[in-house]
Amino acid sequence: MRLKRIATLVVALIFALAAAFGAAQSARQTTLVIGGDWGDLLTIDPGVSYEFSGTVVIDNIYERLVKFEGADLSKIVPGLAESWEITPRDDGGNSITFHLRDAKFSTGRPVKASDVVFSFDRAIQIAGPGSFLFTDTAGMQVGSTVAVDDKTVRLDLPEGKNPTIVLNLLTFNIGGVMDQAEVEPHFQDGDYGQTWLNDNSAGSGPYKLERWDRSAQVVLVANPEYPDPGPITRVIMRYMQESNAQRTALESGEIDIAWDYTPEAFQAAAGNPDLKTYKTDTFQMTYLGMNSGEGAPFADNRVRDAVRYAVDQQGIIDSLLLGLGRRMQTIIPAGLMGADTTIYYERDVEKAKSLLAEAGATGLTVEFLVPTGACGGGIPCADLAAKIQSDLAEAGITANIKQTVSSELYTIYRAQAAQLVLAAWSPDYPDPDGNATSLASYAAKSIAWRNVWDNAEASELAGEAATTIDVDARKALYAKLTKLVATEGPYEMLYQPYKPVVTSAKVEGFERSAQGDVEFERISKLP
Amino acid sequence: MLAFLLRRLGSLVFVVWGVGFAAFFISQVVPADPAAAALGNNARPAQVAAYREKRGLDKPAWQQYLIYMKALVTGDLGRSLRTQRPILNDLRDFFPATFELTLAAMLFALALGIPAGILAAVQQDRPLDLGVRALALVGGATPVYWLAILMLQLFHAKLGWLPGPGRLDAYLLAPHRVTGILTLDAFLAQDWEVLVDALRHLLLPAVVLGAFSMALVARMVRSAMLETLSQDFVRTATAKGLPGRKVVMKHALRNAALPVLTVLGSLLGSLLTGAVLTETIFSWPGLGSYATASATALDFPAVMGVTLVAGLAYSLINLLVDVLYVVLDPRVSYV
Repeated sequence: MRLKRIATLVVALIFALAAAFGAAQSARQTTLVIGGDWGDLLTIDPGVSYEFSGTVVIDNIYERLVKFEGADLSKIVPGLAESWEITPRDDGGNSITFHLRDAKFSTGRPVKASDVVFSFDRAIQIAGPGSFLFTDTAGMQVGSTVAVDDKTVRLDLPEGKNPTIVLNLLTFNIGGVMDQAEVEPHFQDGDYGQTWLNDNSAGSGPYKLERWDRSAQVVLVANPEYPDPGPITRVIMRYMQESNAQRTALESGEIDIAWDYTPEAFQAAAGNPDLKTYKTDTFQMTYLGMNSGEGAPFADNRVRDAVRYAVDQQGIIDSLLLGLGRRMQTIIPAGLMGADTTIYYERDVEKAKSLLAEAGATGLTVEFLVPTGACGGGIPCADLAAKIQSDLAEAGITANIKQTVSSELYTIYRAQAAQLVLAAWSPDYPDPDGNATSLASYAAKSIAWRNVWDNAEASELAGEAATTIDVDARKALYAKLTKLVATEGPYEMLYQPYKPVVTSAKVEGFERSAQGDVEFERISKLP
Repeated sequence: MLAFLLRRLGSLVFVVWGVGFAAFFISQVVPADPAAAALGNNARPAQVAAYREKRGLDKPAWQQYLIYMKALVTGDLGRSLRTQRPILNDLRDFFPATFELTLAAMLFALALGIPAGILAAVQQDRPLDLGVRALALVGGATPVYWLAILMLQLFHAKLGWLPGPGRLDAYLLAPHRVTGILTLDAFLAQDWEVLVDALRHLLLPAVVLGAFSMALVARMVRSAMLETLSQDFVRTATAKGLPGRKVVMKHALRNAALPVLTVLGSLLGSLLTGAVLTETIFSWPGLGSYATASATALDFPAVMGVTLVAGLAYSLINLLVDVLYVVLDPRVSYV
């Protein structure tokens, strides 16, 4: 009798344990853990965020009016707006009218046109790091976004602002739409709810924020109101600064996706059947900026040409990046409209020497500013700088490396005080104008300005292309511009890096767009 | 004793003020613009100017200092330029993790270092002593980052005995935050699964961080014990027939403890502030990684906050050491 009771107990216990184990197993299958260096994540507020990590989080929480489908950045598809039309106004400007689909915020409230107005005006009022996209690029101000009725919202753009560019920039974080009724009561001390939005969310995307433990993890859970949920109900982004730590964690199954592999680790992972490797596209460009102002070392274009002939691009890609990059020599990278992947310069040290002699710059010595940390493709900037230094030395240019933290480097660069600088650029939204104006137009006070390159033709071409709506005409303008900047500009473009991502072989449906979005709801995990 | 304590606490204010003063003016001579750093690479000059004005960065240094001190007196450390949050919130988030790690590292160093030192001294020049001395030498000379990666590779990746970086398994949910010290919070919430997992996560970084201190403690204890063991009162104690264990543990150790205690104070301080590498490799969300990130972003208010906390911790630990002297050594008294 007693034996029987014990036997019953044991059986019950086994069942309970099995059930618990089963539950734990299924929790693992619906939870996605990503290890990465999220150190640049400063805010989860779409109106403020301007960092790569922010894009990964925010795109999954806040829907934009329009978006790109997966990694295909060539075509804008409906987001919160199911359709839109562009209508010219009498004053020369254009209006874009968006028709919203029926959608709900994670708070349960419906998405209304007034929420769009609130979100856009709020971003302009906060004037965060990305706000120039609205105010400068789109020419918007408070009042430009108008709620026609509950489901219709109109964006009035002033003359000279290109609606195509505006649609493209609306796909970025700053175009995220939030629930006014939820956010407004949390305004405090004129912060427009920024503090609250870092620990809470109010979007209509597939996920909502559960918690953000600073420097430890960001946890997203599925938004119950989202109409088309995926199998992953919880996403955990764990902070793992060290590439080595990510590697061991991925191999032991602690994480499903590793965000920051070095080229060496990536190469090793490619042969491992338990892992999948992805060479995802980026729009980043790693380049040398050459100060072309009067009296500066690179004022003469022949000296800039000498640098372009001297640097061994293929060598950098083969030996340092181990293939995690592609060659490019001008300002619109592969993947964007108007991309120019022409190779204008093959390495020719003799040619570089003779150009220097012609320009009377034999024995040129320059200060070479280099940031600390990793450069595009995950290689140490110091290694890249050393390679460039030796390439230049072969041609007879002495580049004295001065390595500093990037905040200090950019202070010098911004003040037009750098001679030769190793830097990176990536556009804020996938439109060629993001690069063309900044890198070619002196008046934009951005990169061309920092390198003191004031070329009237380039400025004009960039300006004209920015306002041209016809696609073919725009492409033709960009073809002219990219050639001009490649051969006369203040840059030696080094390469366009790939972003290496490694996942467990069990992860399916992973895709990362060149803009940095990952749609978690499309990912699933095999048992 | 009370007067002593009050006097020391009073001087503490000046120490912390001095540290803060130095940090503030060092930050003023760095040739970089915090506003430009905060707004990132692509920011427009007009934005940078607006930001400087909003944060008062365009004012002269002495005015900024006065504004800072005025707020500090009311307990307001200001807002971080990088995270945009009140620095007090940031410190509250990051300090407990470092505190927990430091304490665990110290416990490890003491639990292993003291017995090792005693054994080595008692068995002077015998194989055990040589072993301890060799270990202490290796422990003291091994770079933290190398040891960290080695230990991770061995115990986590190869053997699978211990978890990898982080404070908690990703699938476990941290208990409700009370102190921010995860093991303590788990204990308070009686969440044993989390407690066990947190302790397992704590083990490797604590050993790595504590290795150097352990080596130092072992060597200090050994040499202090050797000195004490050769003194007359020890010989007397042995001569009057006390058992060897009692002589060593009661008579010698208590006397040898004083020099060790002096080292301990500064060790604990340096552990608290020197955990940067360990925290980086083990993805430990502590003050070290916060300080590094703040410094490279030129986030001066945050750096100031960390400096003040570190200065305060150092001073408090030293005070504690002085108090412990009295407990350990009846000859010392503060009147």
